Amino acid sequence: MPAIVEGNGLTKRFGTGDATVVAIDSVDITIEESELVMIMGDSGCGKTTLISLLGCILTPDAGDIRIDGEPVDPTAQDMSVIRREKIGFVFQLFHLLPYLTALENVMIAMDLARTKTEEAESRATELLTQVGLSDRLLHRPAQLSGGEKQRVSFARALANRPKVIFADEPTANLDSRQSDNLMSLIQELRQEHQTTVAIVTHHEGLRKNADRIIQMKDGRIIAE
Amino acid sequence: MKTLFLKDMRYRQARVVLTALGITVLISLILLLGGIMNGMRIQARQYVESTGADVWISAEGSGGAFIGFSLVVEEYMAFLNAGQGLVPNSASPLIFAQARPNVRGKSTKAIVVGYKLGQLGGPKRAIEGRMFTASNFEDYRPEDPVPYEVVVDEKMGLEIGEQITLGDEKVRVVGKTSSLMFVLDTPLLFMDVRIAQKLLLGNTPHVNMMIAKVNENFPVPEVATQYDEYETIETRTLQQTVGNIIEYYVDEPMKAVQFLRVMLWLAAGILVGMITYVTMLEKTQEIGVLKAIGAANRYVMTLLLKQVALTSAVGVILGLILSYVFAVAAPIFVKIHFAESIIVASISFLVCCGSGYLAARRAITVDPMIAFRGEI
Repeated sequence: MPAIVEGNGLTKRFGTGDATVVAIDSVDITIEESELVMIMGDSGCGKTTLISLLGCILTPDAGDIRIDGEPVDPTAQDMSVIRREKIGFVFQLFHLLPYLTALENVMIAMDLARTKTEEAESRATELLTQVGLSDRLLHRPAQLSGGEKQRVSFARALANRPKVIFADEPTANLDSRQSDNLMSLIQELRQEHQTTVAIVTHHEGLRKNADRIIQMKDGRIIAE
Repeated sequence: MKTLFLKDMRYRQARVVLTALGITVLISLILLLGGIMNGMRIQARQYVESTGADVWISAEGSGGAFIGFSLVVEEYMAFLNAGQGLVPNSASPLIFAQARPNVRGKSTKAIVVGYKLGQLGGPKRAIEGRMFTASNFEDYRPEDPVPYEVVVDEKMGLEIGEQITLGDEKVRVVGKTSSLMFVLDTPLLFMDVRIAQKLLLGNTPHVNMMIAKVNENFPVPEVATQYDEYETIETRTLQQTVGNIIEYYVDEPMKAVQFLRVMLWLAAGILVGMITYVTMLEKTQEIGVLKAIGAANRYVMTLLLKQVALTSAVGVILGLILSYVFAVAAPIFVKIHFAESIIVASISFLVCCGSGYLAARRAITVDPMIAFRGEI
């Protein structure tokens, strides 16, 4: 399978002087097309930082990233184009816009990609129906449960048909039943949309869903 | 989604309303303070101009007409009326003195204007009732006393025939004038100069000043300079007198208010800027999310600036409306200049938008991950 995401020598530090923390230390990583990769490790090992770098929402201090074979250069490229055309992001705390309905939260991603409103509404409805929220289209995030919010978040991530979806602890705020349901849904969506998925989790019970597991410790990959 | 900024504002309507109200109150305060001072200046100028005089003659060293305690003797009148450059017999005595008459049992601040009826210094006719009985100023006979009569401003609410007490004497209201009040709506009581001398100056033959008209063939400043050279008197033009009276009755006593106004301007600028800045910074998480799902910096900036502009515009417009409403309803004369309103409104709007822009720029220049963690 061709590599959809590649990172070489990725390094990220936070803080300055004596307080500097090396969150990611010279990491090389490859994620292949259509695979479901899980990045696991203890809290603070750098999992979230790593997918933030790969997902182009955080700029590395050193190293190179290639998405879909194209090099990513934050200093020369408009990163917003890469984010909306090639990447979908699912956050631990959902990060839905509170003033928009579920439908609008999915549509906004397509609106940013200048999709026509009718087309965006139709696709958003379709995606929300696929994630089992056809009866929650006009509900605001405050009116949805944690599991429902996370499904909206997945639908939003899929909206622009990204090459890869990065999910940061998507089950952290869900109970075990909701977690299982969400993982089943992710598997279904991955099959249907042929999307590569990289999930950060420390939930050992999710291991069985992964094609490949990357184990991290202290900002480094220690096992695959 | 063209209405995204409106949806956000509707969702956070309490905050939007509070921000707009903050801007409204600050703008109203600035405009009203300025309006009070403008009103005082206009009222001071109005009376001086209403006299119709071109030159104002007061005692040497007094600082000018209306300023401090300036008494001149009546004998100067003959000298002035015969002098070159002045309209013959236009020189007229004028008493302009602060007093506290008892009106309907209440001590009231007022200014007594004593002048010769038909001459410069006060109204020539009443809008209701009649003018006071005139004395024969040049040939005053104690055995033939002039009645204590006064003409008051209609805003005082006094009725014709009503009596007020000035010193120990009862003075009868015989007529009314229209809208001629002094600084801070202090009412003017117009009476015969002889009565004013008797009631306020212990019946001495002094007046506060002489006023006169300049012959139209002579330039006023030159005539004023010519008379100013006499050692015992000082002579000022209308413009100089207006300047003096505004300085004495408005600018000097209102120095603290001016200072307060400048401080309020600064505070308003900082507060309005801070409100907008903090409101924007609190949206950094949302900015991070929008950027993470593919929003370009320009999209986010436009979204935020639309919100700031709309909130500021509402606050500014409400502030303008409120200040004009308060100006009308105020118990004293308040005059807000249109140009001043536009300047205050524009500066406030620009400060709001500028602060919003700075905060938004700060939020959009960091990585989305940093922004939605609120670590900026």
